[in-house]
Amino acid sequence: MSMNRVVSSLVALALAGVSASAAFAQGPAVLPIADVKARQAVEREISRAAAKGLPTQPLISKAMEGVTKQASGERIHSAVASQARRLEQARDLLAPSPTVAELVAGADALVVGVPASMLKQIRAAWPRQSVAMPLDVLTELVARGVPAKHALKQITTLMVAGATPTQIAGVGASVQSDVASGLAPDAALEVRARGVMSLLPSPAAQALLAPSSRGPRAPR
Amino acid sequence: MSESFEQDPLRDPLIERVRETLRSSPGAKPDAAAMGRVLQAVWAEPRASFWRRLTDPLRMTTFTRLGAAAVAGAALFVGFLWRNAVTPSTAASPLAATGPATGEYPVQYASDAAADPATVAVPTQFVFENAKAKQVSLVGDFNDWKAGETPLVKLESGLWTATVPLPPGRHVYAFVLDGTLLVADPRAPKAGDADYGREGSVVMVFAR
Repeated sequence: MSMNRVVSSLVALALAGVSASAAFAQGPAVLPIADVKARQAVEREISRAAAKGLPTQPLISKAMEGVTKQASGERIHSAVASQARRLEQARDLLAPSPTVAELVAGADALVVGVPASMLKQIRAAWPRQSVAMPLDVLTELVARGVPAKHALKQITTLMVAGATPTQIAGVGASVQSDVASGLAPDAALEVRARGVMSLLPSPAAQALLAPSSRGPRAPR
Repeated sequence: MSESFEQDPLRDPLIERVRETLRSSPGAKPDAAAMGRVLQAVWAEPRASFWRRLTDPLRMTTFTRLGAAAVAGAALFVGFLWRNAVTPSTAASPLAATGPATGEYPVQYASDAAADPATVAVPTQFVFENAKAKQVSLVGDFNDWKAGETPLVKLESGLWTATVPLPPGRHVYAFVLDGTLLVADPRAPKAGDADYGREGSVVMVFAR
């Protein structure tokens, strides 16, 4: 074989490698669902989601959750389809370009009953930063029994005042343990949010903490 | 100068022929100006395109071969980079590189001071009490609910434990006993399950 042919073969191999690598990365792995019809339906669902530009990993994870929980094939298919719908809804609500983590967090929020409009409000509070953590905390607070409206208000206030995702997560975790030890969810959130707010140097945070923030000061 | 020209791997066969003809002419004296004019004329001649030289094996020079090899290498590199970009990263599936759970605290994740605390994996310890179980493993959204992928180790006290690095955020999980029985963590808040109706547990992970 001449050098020229070797080089031509190398180029062809490289191009084939690129295509195969890309195809392998995007194609769904074979899911361990015993019911063949259900498995094919799930795989079609995942392919449809991929065609819409949705991430497939959360759907594979949802299907695997069903396998581990020994759900029927039909139920797994239904759960994957629901998750795909939630991801699509979250993508629209968290526009313009949400990350996969944000989409999953948005879908989880919708599952626990957070109204769709609240996802938009969270995005509006942080248009350029990841809202995955605030959404996770909102989900957790609502799941623990804090009214969604109250939870949203406290979280967006923290976001606008300059709290970091870690500080917001800390509020969520503290409320979680406060509720476990018997404190009312509303009260726990209020006190923990105020605690973080006191650490923030922004004028907005200080204004919220000041006694005057309860009402307009009378002119002298 | 001449020696370096002789060793130049990029030398053109046409220029070589011109040189040989000039050398073999009887009584020919090296005339630098004439040589310059000839070489200029040769270089001014239209040359085949890069694609033509790439696809025509008879005209393929050493330079073209090197170029083709470089293109192939670059294509492979770009392909694998792209693959990494579209497949879940280690942050998305943090257990991939950790191996079996040992119960040891993987401090290498915690000591990554330069990383963004909002995204860096946080070592998270799970504890489960069941002296009768022969095997306990951890399943959750962080390991795609794959039973057996994250085993817990049994301590002398009868407690089972595993420490795994998790991305910050809210995670739902459960324990699998002896390969089949799925149970929620009795020490953690419960997580409802609208899709399958099997309650799990929830953990909020963040850098403390």
